[in-house]
Amino acid sequence: MQVSGASGVCLAMHEFSRRIAFEDVPTAGAFMVFGAHRDMFEVARNFAHFFAHESCGFCTPCRVGTSLVVRCMDKIAKGLGSQHEIREIFRIHRLLNVASHCGLGQAACNPVFDTLNKFRPAYERRLRSLDFEPAFDLDGALASARQMTGRDDPGAHFVGESQGFGVHP
Amino acid sequence: MKQPTFLLDGMPVPFEEGQTIMDAAMAADAFIPHLCHHPEFKPQGSCKLCTVKANGRHVSSCTMQARDGMEVENNTPDLNDKRRTLLQMLFVEGNHFCPSCEKSGNCMLQALAYELEMLSPHFDQFYPDRPVDASHPDVLLDFNRCILCELCVRASRDVDGKSVFALSGRGIGKHLIVNAESGRLADTDFSLLDRAAHVCPVGVILEKRKGFAVPIGQRLYDEKPIGQQMERLAARTAKVEV
Ligand code: SF4
Ligand code: SF4
Ligand code: FES
Repeated sequence: MQVSGASGVCLAMHEFSRRIAFEDVPTAGAFMVFGAHRDMFEVARNFAHFFAHESCGFCTPCRVGTSLVVRCMDKIAKGLGSQHEIREIFRIHRLLNVASHCGLGQAACNPVFDTLNKFRPAYERRLRSLDFEPAFDLDGALASARQMTGRDDPGAHFVGESQGFGVHP
Repeated sequence: MKQPTFLLDGMPVPFEEGQTIMDAAMAADAFIPHLCHHPEFKPQGSCKLCTVKANGRHVSSCTMQARDGMEVENNTPDLNDKRRTLLQMLFVEGNHFCPSCEKSGNCMLQALAYELEMLSPHFDQFYPDRPVDASHPDVLLDFNRCILCELCVRASRDVDGKSVFALSGRGIGKHLIVNAESGRLADTDFSLLDRAAHVCPVGVILEKRKGFAVPIGQRLYDEKPIGQQMERLAARTAKVEV
């Protein structure tokens, strides 16, 4: 349950008996209830897009930070995420929280941060590895070169991890 | 009456009523990293490089008024780490290829990256598409390096009285525009004599036919790192910067 709008706090099932105090409703008295069938990762990803879209772009942390969080969340959604993205999100959250010019940036990572803490499995089951994955697809990046040279033989393809050649140790 | 004083990393800094933390630090020759601040113009508070911790709270030192007895943390590992991340954000948001940039060695963004030991951009590049404007006979605009500090906006509006520049758009799409129907600098009354032609801390507003005039080794930040140049930074005025 998301209390007080997108920048408020997200409560998990085990907190349902908790009392909601004044500090919990900093922005508005709104409640959003998400059923058990909802994927809390997708909920948070949607919020991340919302904040990147809403950022006015005045200050550096919020302008760039909200977009960086979107990139991390999209990378995880594509199945290319790793613990690296999770650490990045935490780091950006800590920066935006204290350095943003206004409340939007300060609270922009709250839903991502809360769901990460309380619905961690929703994130982790999407991670490709617990270490690091590059955001770009090396073989995909060669596509334009293949087109220009008219080649499509095995030698013109990058053989990745799945074929047994480790990109990473 | 005793002059009011605050502590900057334990060092007493005197100030006049109404001065910001940044103003007082500048006057005392104490370095606080900054990009959008310039002593000649109204503080803006957008780059956030100058973030300090005053009495335990994070504030922008260029907009926060000093108070008697305030305890301000400035040069701490935690704050410098945050500043490094802000610099990395500014680098990946634009297109910065320092070796081919006319401003290299005289650039505040680059100088701060050295000062704060930023070793890599860390984040994936955004590679924004920002075509240059070479329409003006004397000035080139390379928007790729704009950090949206609005110094040119402030100078052109408040000093030159022309309002040649403005920021447009929102979020990550925010960008600098030229106030002409065509959007081209040639179609404004902008001139090399404008204050705005000489305030850009990075390599956007460049005088034509004058690139790489100072040899490597003698450029502004070759001589001394930016952290030791607060006195010069505090003395920036139209006279010295033209
Ligand atoms: S503006 Fe500064 S940081 Fe950017 S490319 Fe030029 S020298 Fe480098
Ligand atoms: S052109 Fe230069 S002075 Fe103007 S906003 Fe961009 S970085 Fe700042
Ligand atoms: S120098 Fe204070 S926010 Fe830019």
